[in-house]
Amino acid sequence: MEEERLQAIIEEMWPRLKRKHLFPEIPVPKVGKVVDLSVDEQGMDDSAERRVGLEMKEKQMTINPAFLSTLKGKMTEENLIEALLDHGITHYTFCPWDFQTHLMLYAEAKKVMGDKESAKQAANYFIDVIADTHCVKKRATEIPELHRNLKKGAVEEVIASLYQKIWGIDLGISPQGKEEKGRAEIVRRLARIPYLDRSRWTESIRKFTRSLKPLLLLAQQEQEARGGKGDSNPQGEHDMNHYSYEEIDDGLREYAQKTMGLSEFREVVEDFSTELKEMGYGIEGGMGRGRGTHIDADILFYMKLAENYSIPVKRLPLEKTGTLHPHSHSPWEVGTPFQDIDIWTSFGKIMPGITQTWKKKEGKGRGKIEGTPDCLIIIDSSGSMINPRKSLSYAVLGAACATNAYLRNNSKVAVYNFSDAPMGGREILDYTENREDIYRALCKYFGGGTALDLEDIMPLIKGKKELDLFIITDMKITNLETLIGFFGKIQNRITAVHIGENPYASRFEKAVEKRKNINIFTVKKKEDIPHIVLGSIREYFNPMNKNR
Amino acid sequence: MKNGDLKKKSFHPPVSKPNTFSNPFEEFRTFHFRKEEIPLDRIVQSAEVVMDQIRLGYEKLLEEEAKELVWMVQYNTIIKAYEVAEKYIKEIDYSAEDIEDFCFALENTQKIPYLIPGPAGIYISALCNYAKEEEIVLKLSELKTEINLIGFRLPKGKRLMVEGDTGDFTGIGLEGGEMVIEGSSKNWTGAGMRSGKILVKKNIGLHTGEWMMGGEIYVGGRVRGLGNIVEGKVFEREKLVYPGKARNPNIYY
Repeated sequence: MEEERLQAIIEEMWPRLKRKHLFPEIPVPKVGKVVDLSVDEQGMDDSAERRVGLEMKEKQMTINPAFLSTLKGKMTEENLIEALLDHGITHYTFCPWDFQTHLMLYAEAKKVMGDKESAKQAANYFIDVIADTHCVKKRATEIPELHRNLKKGAVEEVIASLYQKIWGIDLGISPQGKEEKGRAEIVRRLARIPYLDRSRWTESIRKFTRSLKPLLLLAQQEQEARGGKGDSNPQGEHDMNHYSYEEIDDGLREYAQKTMGLSEFREVVEDFSTELKEMGYGIEGGMGRGRGTHIDADILFYMKLAENYSIPVKRLPLEKTGTLHPHSHSPWEVGTPFQDIDIWTSFGKIMPGITQTWKKKEGKGRGKIEGTPDCLIIIDSSGSMINPRKSLSYAVLGAACATNAYLRNNSKVAVYNFSDAPMGGREILDYTENREDIYRALCKYFGGGTALDLEDIMPLIKGKKELDLFIITDMKITNLETLIGFFGKIQNRITAVHIGENPYASRFEKAVEKRKNINIFTVKKKEDIPHIVLGSIREYFNPMNKNR
Repeated sequence: MKNGDLKKKSFHPPVSKPNTFSNPFEEFRTFHFRKEEIPLDRIVQSAEVVMDQIRLGYEKLLEEEAKELVWMVQYNTIIKAYEVAEKYIKEIDYSAEDIEDFCFALENTQKIPYLIPGPAGIYISALCNYAKEEEIVLKLSELKTEINLIGFRLPKGKRLMVEGDTGDFTGIGLEGGEMVIEGSSKNWTGAGMRSGKILVKKNIGLHTGEWMMGGEIYVGGRVRGLGNIVEGKVFEREKLVYPGKARNPNIYY
């Protein structure tokens, strides 16, 4: 009954709140029990239920009625709800805005704190200060009133003093005791930070954390002495629950591209691995999901980084047992080809959910259609190549981009990862569509000599009428002549990518320059990767295809 | 019949009522954008103005004292650079936090063109010596560069605390001030100091206290090598090492 009444209040004020925040795409907040994640089940008591006022999961905000009751008499229910919702909405509309920004803020805080938990805390305080300050400056809000009435710990007292100073509103914090001098100094430092300047958040959070560090360490010690976790944030915790799978996926991709640093990415993913796993985020399953699996941060780094680069694959005529004919309907999605749309059943509209496309099936008979063949990726992991698990390897990134290109075209990929192959330094992965297996094989590093063993490669080529080869190496191969001789015999499309310039690469280029089915590219920096067009040979189709 | 009806309708399109068309942005008509000035804006703005002035002073110092972007640490050059720095700093109204911000801005080449360790250290020392506060805390532990010459001529009554490590020539020519370094300091620390106190919580480098005329140096960790001390005291882990038993001269790696 009580919940229904509160829900009615929210529904009544929601149109006004949406308008105030310029109509964000957020569902109507709910009223319900909010679980305090910082308290385990054994330590759960009545007070634990009342500590958190707002919960944010994906984009759904939930107001805790038990928390509202704790401030009865101090604030009207309407004002309290509005303040909590103002705060929650601003997290979506201003800070942190997206998962990538959240990760970036956390990573910067960790550089100062050096510890995962306190870095998370520092990032959370910073995010809250920005959100509340933005709200106070740009919107008419009851947030100051909320802060005036909230119960405060040592850090919260300092944050409230900061608010007093930067908002110019009395929140009832008065100087007292010997500690005041130290706190005043912290507040003075904190007040100089340009919180609302998004472009300076990286340096701002470092300064914020540096200033707050002594207090955070003290709070952590007190917490440990109490033998439990700290007090919950009444305005809601900032954890992975804020974000959907897609937002996390996007955030990791953007973060990988922005940092371009394997170790930085690995550190952040490992720090959040528990939360990511709890949410069911893993690598298994191609799209990066799977419950309970170990997250290999290195593989995830290349996976996400490669998603930023798109390498096109030229299609070639493949022999099939029949031609395609429209068979059944499937819903059209953004990105799927327009030519397959059935305009009659789509009511003439191009709109996901309404538009339908024809699903085609092979019929009887023989014919040729354009398609993408499977691909064999030959990757060099000898000592002259960079260890992909230590720093960013353009070889693995290039191979990863090629993998994505073929898998996107429903083809399979095999991997031959070699160093000193005749001595056993090699990894062979048969044709598969499993992205994780492919990436795992690509990321394997031997770091020995460089020699190919054709006997390993032959079984992967035999019986494959149509097959593309993608070789990525620095060309410092001991038996380079054997490789040149082998490439001279086969008619498959070959994309050879070499890292950097050297005499071996020049020798290879000269030896195969007349071969029209071989295309050579040099990768010196990551920007060169999108220039690689797999299988884009000079005349698009090799003589074998022309004769068909 | 049905088709005929439709055709008929199409010849006479319904006359739209003037008020039925609604502006999709109607909701915003009464929206008042709240652009309120809060004290934060003023604080940040004034901090930026001060930072610009400090930056300008540093650039002028470089123009005058390090034209070729080369600066030799010599007695004369240090004195002259300090005098130039003093000239510009006296005109600026700044606080201890501005000094710390300047130290971090030095690492950001987009904001400040060159970090030449000598003049930068002299300039920071001058900033500390002319600051209004008696106690200055510089939180420099995340700074990648160790600042040389910090604490030069720190006068009596001033206390400079550095969180992090400092470079060569820390606290040289100290004039009665107190310097506390939470980390380590490098070679020639306290060289030529006349009076005052230097406390280094961790280790200290070679030539410690070279030509020291007075004052005390306390080292929490290890002293790698003492210089030719004229007068004053050096303590290593609370033990007096100068004056005291003859100690090996500087040991080089």
